[in-house]
Amino acid sequence: MAESNHWQLIPLDDFERPSAPASTLVQKALIRLHSLIGSDADEDATPEDQDFPHYREFDLAPAVAAVDDAWQELNKTPCVRFVVSPPFSGTGAILREWAEQQGYQQLQVPNVEQLESADTDAWWQAQKCERWLLDEFSSFWLRTTSHMQFMRSLLPRLLRGELGEGVVVVDSWTFAFLQRAWPLSLPHCYCFAAATPELLRQVCIEGSDKRLRKLAAKARGNVGVALALWALERDSERQAPQIPREADDGTAFILYALLLHHGLRGEHLQWVLPMLAPDQLDVQLLRLQQNAVIELDDEGVWRITVYAYIDVRDFLAARGYWLDGF
Amino acid sequence: MDTEQFLAIFKEINSAVLIEIGVVIAAALLFIWCSQRLLPMLANHLHGKQRLFVLALIPTVRVIVFIFAIVWIVPLVIEPTARNMVAILGAAGLAIGFALKDYVSSIIAGVVAVYEVPYRPGDWISVDGTYGEVKHIGMRAVEIVTPDDTVVFIPHLKLWSNLIHNANNGGPSLMCVVDFYLHPEHDANQVKHLLEDVALTSPYVQLAKPIVVVANEEPWGTHYKLKAYPIDPRQQFQFMTDLTARGKSCLRELPVNFAQLSPEHAAQVGPY
Repeated sequence: MAESNHWQLIPLDDFERPSAPASTLVQKALIRLHSLIGSDADEDATPEDQDFPHYREFDLAPAVAAVDDAWQELNKTPCVRFVVSPPFSGTGAILREWAEQQGYQQLQVPNVEQLESADTDAWWQAQKCERWLLDEFSSFWLRTTSHMQFMRSLLPRLLRGELGEGVVVVDSWTFAFLQRAWPLSLPHCYCFAAATPELLRQVCIEGSDKRLRKLAAKARGNVGVALALWALERDSERQAPQIPREADDGTAFILYALLLHHGLRGEHLQWVLPMLAPDQLDVQLLRLQQNAVIELDDEGVWRITVYAYIDVRDFLAARGYWLDGF
Repeated sequence: MDTEQFLAIFKEINSAVLIEIGVVIAAALLFIWCSQRLLPMLANHLHGKQRLFVLALIPTVRVIVFIFAIVWIVPLVIEPTARNMVAILGAAGLAIGFALKDYVSSIIAGVVAVYEVPYRPGDWISVDGTYGEVKHIGMRAVEIVTPDDTVVFIPHLKLWSNLIHNANNGGPSLMCVVDFYLHPEHDANQVKHLLEDVALTSPYVQLAKPIVVVANEEPWGTHYKLKAYPIDPRQQFQFMTDLTARGKSCLRELPVNFAQLSPEHAAQVGPY
C-alpha cells in the first residue's frame, strides 16, 4: 500500500492549491456573469428535494498511514501539533482514527461556565492525560468577548506544553480567524496536501488526468469537495445548490458564522449575530435550507452543505470577507 | 474681424452634414444614457473593490464619449486651422467670461474631478459639513445621498476652493470611530482589551484591517475611541450601532461605570 498511497500530511506552509486551467476560469466567469444578468431559469429546481449522494465514503486507512509516516520522521515530538482542516476534507475523521490507533485520548470540550469564566484549568484538570486529541476546536466556542478570553488563555498553555502532548484539529476558517485574533503564529501546523489526480483515483474517482486535474482545481484541492462535485457531475438530473438571489448582508453573516464554527445551533447563531432579529434569522435559515445551501443535522446544528461550499466561499470572497488559506 | 471673415471660418453646412452631426450627438447621448443605467445596475450586484471600480467607470465613460463626439463634430463645422481655432475660442471665451462663468467652471471642475478623482461614485465624502455617499457624478454637480436619505447636489465648482473630505478614497476601507465615556475609576488596560474584542467579535468588522483603541483622560473621566473598519462602507452605521450596543453591554458586565457628564462637559465632548 505504501507505494500507491498518495495521501500526504505536510507542513501548512508547504500547501499549494492546484491552479485552475484557463477553461475553468472562463467557465467560472461566465457563470458569474450569468448570475449578474439574473436568469431565473433554475427556480424550477427544488434542491431541497434532491437526494445528494454521501460524499465522505473513502477509505480512511491510507490517510491515517500518511499521518503516521509524516510524524514518525520527527526527531522530537512537539508538545502540541495543529492539523488545519478545510471544511469537508475529512481531516477530523482521519485524525480521530489515528488517535484511536495511537492511544490518544479524545478530550471533552469545555462547558459554558468554563468558557464564560475562561477557566482552562478546571476544564483540563477534569480530564488530565498524557496524550490527547482535541478534534472539536472550531465548534466548542463562540465568537463572543467572553469566549475569546478562554481561547487567549488556552492557546499559550497549549504552546507552553502545560497540557502535555496533544493534537488539535482546527478548521481552516477558525485557523484564519485565530491568526487575526491572536498575534502569535501557531507552530507545528500541518495539513493534508492538495488532491492530485492520483489521490482522486485512490478515493475511487474515475476520469482522465485532465478531467481530474480540473476537478481538483475546482474543489480547491479538497478531497471531500471533489467527491461531492464528482457525484454531481455524474448525475445530470442533480444541480449544484446556488446562493439565493435575495442573499444580503445577513446571509453573509450567517454563512461566515457557520464556517467559522463548523456549524452552529440556532440559539448559538442568535448569540453571535445579536443584530439579526429571531424572525429575520429564521427566514434567512429557511431560505438557505430551501436552496440546499445549508442543512439541519440530527443534532439540530445548521451546517453548510458540501455541494454549496465552493459557491459560499466565492460569495464571501466577493464581499471582501476574511477567508481561509485553502 | 468683420462678419464675412468670421463666417469664412465655418464650412458650408448641407443636410448631409446636419444629419451626420445629429446621428453623432444622438449616438453619444444614447451611449452615455445606457452606461449611466447599466453600470450602476451591474455595480449593485457587486461588492467591495469590484463595485467601486464599476461605479468609477461611469463619469470616465461619459467624458471619453463627450470628447469623441466633439472631435468628430468640430471638423464638420469649421476648418480646423490654428487661426480659426483661435478665433472661435476667443469668441467662446468672451461669452463664457460674462454669462456662463460659474456653469463652465463647474463643468471644467467636473472634468478635473474625473482626472484627479477627489471623489468617485461609492465614496463617502463630506463637503461643507454635508456627509454622504456619492451616487452620481454629473457634468456640473456631484450627487450625494446623506445617511438620512436626502439627496444633495454639490457643484464641482467647490473643488477649486473647498476642502473635500473623502472617508474611503475609492477603496472599500472606511474607518469608523465609536466613543465610550467612562468613569475614571477602572483598569484602563482591561477596558482597552475588552473594546478590542468587542470589535473583533462584530460580524461587520473587516478582519484584514487593524483595530485600535485610544484612551484620553479628561477632567470628568476617560474617553475611549474604538477605531475599526466595516467589511463594506455602506455598513458603517450598523457597524457603529453594533459596537456601541455590545460595547456598552460588555462594559456593564465588567463592571465599569459610565461617566456622568455635566451639561457643560457634554457640550464640550462633541463629535468634532
